[in-house]
Amino acid sequence: MLSFIGRSIIQKIITLFFVSVVSFLIIHLAPGKPSQVDPLNPKFTPEMVERFRKEFHLDKPLYIQYIYFYRDLLTGKTVSWKDNQSVLKKIWERFLNSLPLFIVGTILTWTLSFPIGIRSAIFRGGLYDRSSTFFSYLLISIPGFFFAYILIIFVVTRFHVPVIGMETFGLGASSWTHMVMDRIWHLLLPSVLGATGGIAILSRYVRSQMLEVESQDYVRTARAKGVPEEQVLYKHALRNALLPFVTMFGLILPGLIGGSVIIESIFSWPGMGRMAYEAILARDYPIILTVNFISAVLVLAGTFVSDVLYMVVDPRIRL
Amino acid sequence: MTIRKILIFTPILVIFFLLQSYFWVPTYEQQSRGNPNRLNEYITASIGDASILNPILSADSASSNINSMVFEGLIDRDEELRFRGRLARYWDIHEEAFFYVNEKANIPGVGKAGAKKVVELLKRAKAGDLPANDEVRASLANIEEIFIIPAREFLVTRHEKKTETDQEDTEVKIKVMAPNRINLVLSSVDQDLFQNLSLILGKDYFSSFNGENYLGVDQELGQKKRAEYAKEILPSTEHNPIVVFKLRPNVKFHDGHIFDANDVKFTFEAIMNPKNLSPRVADYEPVKEVQAVDPLTVRIVYKRLYSPALGTWSMGILPEHLLNDETLRDEANRVGKDPEKFSIRQSSFNRHPIGCGPFVFREWKSDQYITLNGFDDYWEGPPNYKRYIYRIIPDLLTQEMEFYAGTIDSYGVQPHQVQRLQNDPKYQGFSGLSLGYTYIGYNMRREPFDDHRVRMALSMAIDVDKIIKYVLHGQGERITGPFVKQTDYYNHGIKPVPYDPEGALKLLEEAGWKRNKEGWLERDGKRLQFTLITNSGNDLRKAILTIAQGAWKQIGIDVRTDLLEWAVFIQERVDKADFDALILGWLMGIEPDLYQIWHSSQTNPYQLNFVGFRNPQADDLIIKIRREYNYGRQVAYSHQLHEIIAREKPYTFLYVTKWTAVLDKKIVIKETDSKGNVVYKKIKPTKTGIYTFHFNKWIKLPEVPSFAPEG
Amino acid sequence: MIKKDIKNLLQNTGVAPRRSRLQESWRILKGNSLAFVGLIIFALFFCTALAGLILTSGTKPVFDPAMVRLQEKLLPPLSSPNLETLRPEEIPKLGVYLFGTDDLGRDVFARMLQGAWVSLTVGFVAVGIAVLIGIFMGGISGYFGQSHIRVDQILAAFVLLLGGGLLAVGAIFSGSALLLIGSAYIFFSRWLKKGLGKQPPPKWMKVFFAGVISIDTLIMRLVDIMLCFPSFFLILTVVALLPASMYNIMIVIGLTSWMGATRFVRAEFLSLREQDFVTAARALGVSNWRIIFRHMIPNAIAPVLVSATIGIATAILTEAGLSFLGFGVPPPHATWGNILSDGKRFIFDAPWLTFVPGFAILLVVLSFNLFGEGLRDILNPKLKERY
Repeated sequence: MLSFIGRSIIQKIITLFFVSVVSFLIIHLAPGKPSQVDPLNPKFTPEMVERFRKEFHLDKPLYIQYIYFYRDLLTGKTVSWKDNQSVLKKIWERFLNSLPLFIVGTILTWTLSFPIGIRSAIFRGGLYDRSSTFFSYLLISIPGFFFAYILIIFVVTRFHVPVIGMETFGLGASSWTHMVMDRIWHLLLPSVLGATGGIAILSRYVRSQMLEVESQDYVRTARAKGVPEEQVLYKHALRNALLPFVTMFGLILPGLIGGSVIIESIFSWPGMGRMAYEAILARDYPIILTVNFISAVLVLAGTFVSDVLYMVVDPRIRL
Repeated sequence: MTIRKILIFTPILVIFFLLQSYFWVPTYEQQSRGNPNRLNEYITASIGDASILNPILSADSASSNINSMVFEGLIDRDEELRFRGRLARYWDIHEEAFFYVNEKANIPGVGKAGAKKVVELLKRAKAGDLPANDEVRASLANIEEIFIIPAREFLVTRHEKKTETDQEDTEVKIKVMAPNRINLVLSSVDQDLFQNLSLILGKDYFSSFNGENYLGVDQELGQKKRAEYAKEILPSTEHNPIVVFKLRPNVKFHDGHIFDANDVKFTFEAIMNPKNLSPRVADYEPVKEVQAVDPLTVRIVYKRLYSPALGTWSMGILPEHLLNDETLRDEANRVGKDPEKFSIRQSSFNRHPIGCGPFVFREWKSDQYITLNGFDDYWEGPPNYKRYIYRIIPDLLTQEMEFYAGTIDSYGVQPHQVQRLQNDPKYQGFSGLSLGYTYIGYNMRREPFDDHRVRMALSMAIDVDKIIKYVLHGQGERITGPFVKQTDYYNHGIKPVPYDPEGALKLLEEAGWKRNKEGWLERDGKRLQFTLITNSGNDLRKAILTIAQGAWKQIGIDVRTDLLEWAVFIQERVDKADFDALILGWLMGIEPDLYQIWHSSQTNPYQLNFVGFRNPQADDLIIKIRREYNYGRQVAYSHQLHEIIAREKPYTFLYVTKWTAVLDKKIVIKETDSKGNVVYKKIKPTKTGIYTFHFNKWIKLPEVPSFAPEG
Repeated sequence: MIKKDIKNLLQNTGVAPRRSRLQESWRILKGNSLAFVGLIIFALFFCTALAGLILTSGTKPVFDPAMVRLQEKLLPPLSSPNLETLRPEEIPKLGVYLFGTDDLGRDVFARMLQGAWVSLTVGFVAVGIAVLIGIFMGGISGYFGQSHIRVDQILAAFVLLLGGGLLAVGAIFSGSALLLIGSAYIFFSRWLKKGLGKQPPPKWMKVFFAGVISIDTLIMRLVDIMLCFPSFFLILTVVALLPASMYNIMIVIGLTSWMGATRFVRAEFLSLREQDFVTAARALGVSNWRIIFRHMIPNAIAPVLVSATIGIATAILTEAGLSFLGFGVPPPHATWGNILSDGKRFIFDAPWLTFVPGFAILLVVLSFNLFGEGLRDILNPKLKERY
């Protein structure tokens, strides 16, 4: 166990190193001379560009830039090119904004997928199963931004309530319950949108796991023994079908960053995805690289957690 | 089964919990739900952020919006677009006129005369002892006092480059021996004074005065240079219009400091201070000096007749005590900047402005919002709204949605939305004409546009109503001349050119253009052919381009079109007057000063009269308008000028666009009547379409009120 | 249960005639109505895209997607044009605006037609690139996976890469020198291999010939690295940095989505390697490449095909998302994504600008997904029976 953890950590660190190199190269070798700071912007005089290049080591060879950049990043000194603010501080602020979105989205995904998936496994082949299958595909196939606009039109024209942003503007001096509820309301639409794809995929997965388990011998045995159907399903089958999902807890970590770009920009949500998008627009390399790096760390941490969880949950597995 | 129940009830509970939050959120109908203060707030949105909150430095519309709330000018314009006093209670315009005694000139019936004799003559004329016509009499009656300024000598030094290649300036010392001068104090501005006086003093009494004789120059100068100096230092005649503002007493700045005449003087000096790089220098250039006579009187002396100058005093007044040299120096030292280079432009005042307007600056979060609080000590009484919030929302769609949700109180409707939103019972809509117009301009230097009939025919062939209907979605109005349509200067008596292709053909035939076999118009074997251009990137103009081309082709004119990049269009074609016909627009000010666009002296390359419009009558009127201080006469001159331009058709005047704004219907005007009862009134736009005119009396109510019928 | 096994057995041993496999597929497809509908929509979409290519390209297209008629802007679907204000060549060929017009008065129908082809191309080319890379990487990894890369090979590759890099940067002399050294070494090592024959290399060279890492590990680590990037964000970054072009988008989407195919192919190869027919082929002395291409790829292609079908759907969605954010295929090409993105400003006034492309994307992506699932059932009947 310990040796597995040690080995895997070393392996992950090596991977992380390569990820950092690759992302650095992608950004700095892209055509269009990224090292020149937006020469089209008339506000940048040549002297300013020169000073800027010095300040951010853009005049040094690539590998030195790389070392400087990751040294600064790991010591927390990296600053954004746009406003000279600490990148980590900026990301942390935005992260706190994205966090509720992620939490509510995850709660929705996990609470909804299980009942839906289990029910379709129980009534497989029936009308419910087939329509839920169809709806799953529908949800997977619908472009997120299109769905977002449908929902926005519906809510705005039907209910006349604010949906954009993190809270209702001008809700200055109201009681805290109003403030909290208002924030929850603003969370609702974007997190529902964020959860749709997840619900569709996860419920399909739950269904197939249930079916897989149902054809196992012990379930058949239980049935043959005359255990009540409900108990068979929820005690014998479900518990075993749930095993692989424990490991998925690790894999939702990367979802903290990815995939929210579009939703956050539609809803003017000042979260990480929007920040990353704005950084791309402004060619703010430190932010792009840091977001990339952090998300790589999250992916690796996620797989690590899921491996460990797997070992903890399923004693048969010895890695 | 517990597991089963958990599985079913958790999602239901989660969804229920999330959905119930809806009942806590204020809807459009109940914006004060859970937040009663919302009724005391006015929230509006803008696409762009403000840049600098200082009225003498700002140039963008967002900054001006906020500045007009925080700062107050001496005067502004009322519902009828006339001036009304704000920080100034009232004002008075009179004139001091000067002329040098021309001792060499022969005065009819008197002969050569010295200063005393001239004064005597004028006094006699004023008393009615001399024969004179009505106009001269009016001018004389206007004269209140006559002084003699005795002859004097003084020294002027100028720095001049001797030749164009010289690096160094040479110092030119000029000894001026000014002759006697006569000072006339007039009770009102009179641009015809000297013209009328010359009927008494002799036709060339003023024009034959030669200042060169009174100059002693220590260097060799060309004849031309000498004449220039003479004209500048010893002008034969001079008009000095004077505006005296009587200020309102006990007006407070937001920090409690009392406003007085020194603040006005300071604001003027700050604008003219080259260190501040104010974009408004041009407006105040004709000012000779600003004198603070006493704390409540400001006297402004102008160098010459220039009637648009009065309107410039609507600009916000800066607090002298916060921005004078001493405080700036302290601030520079505090932030560690060089006090020599530190100017108002660098001051932190521009992000925390203090003025004496109806709202007090509170907070500015860049790219998010600016908030202002109502000013309780406002001289006209505090505004009804406790807070004014200016949100920055770059995305129009988001603005729209925020408006529907009630988190913005007003929304600027786009043309295609007018149909839908204007008649929505939830909102109150306002619309009005904008200040700009779009036109097709013809290069009158070129054939065939030098013929008035051709220009007329071209205008007749275009169906402008169709353009307005289809291209503008009906959100525009026809225009016939160069003045702003909602002002009095616009001559409503002039009918727009009717759409009449047949008539156009007849006119063209008169001008010698006949249809040939292929249907093209021809004269002397030459086809009627030209190129119509406009800038690319403006879809409206592009659509007009195709419509005009189609319309003219129909009557047999071979029109080509070209879309040019803006920079190329302006620099290569417009500035060099290298075009046949073009589509462009002007954005106008309210002042009727048309000098730059229509005066014949402005037809050179890089000037704005690029169509080459030359009309002596029009020139005369243009000059008269900018010198006339009497509103009625100004209007009369403008109507004449409008008629001339409309007749000459240097442009085909197309349309002015209409703007539309919608407002929450729950916003009303709240007033207290004489008995002390609160009265609510519907917001009504002024005659000129300004609906925010009574903004300080606006308030939002929880419900749409029912208004008492108005008599 | 036994009966089922026999059935499978019959199928696997190929007792049934060859043609009946196709028939069997058809039967299964027809049985799965969703997949069948998916196939039909897919076919329709394909025809539309082809028609769109023909009808909207050229100098005088039948439907001109770029024709601006400002006087006709924001007309709802099925409204007829105002003949008075239009020139003859501006009148839409159908006589009505089938899907309405946009804010510049362009015919949305023509734009949708053009966009269909663009979406199709983006989907197919991107997935084509991904599948090719996937088969290549997965094939190498599954087949040659156990052999190790030696230090000298790494060194040679490093020298070559460095030389290429220097050349690209502009250092011609040192770059070409390194390239020469690298290629010289490759020749040398070949010669060395032949010359030395079975003799063990001298001791000092052993360091160079030591195996460092197996090919399989190398490729799988590469896959891991690629999986570490948040894919949409990575694509967005690269597309934003590159000059806007349709090809860049296809290539970038392709280069960032080959990992799945690689894993599938590798897994298939690993299991196929041990199968009898491969062993037999090897025993017959068939060359490695022939075994790979002739025997293994055809057998491993099924899961790749399924994932490719679904991959096309994902690629179309990704392109639409990029277009939506303003980084998609640049004008003058209309794509469904940028029609929607341009139309979103008019969502309350001209909802068809959002709904037409939105539903089109939804329909096509859905059909690809359903068809992909159907394909999975056909290619793997066992799965179908079990669920």
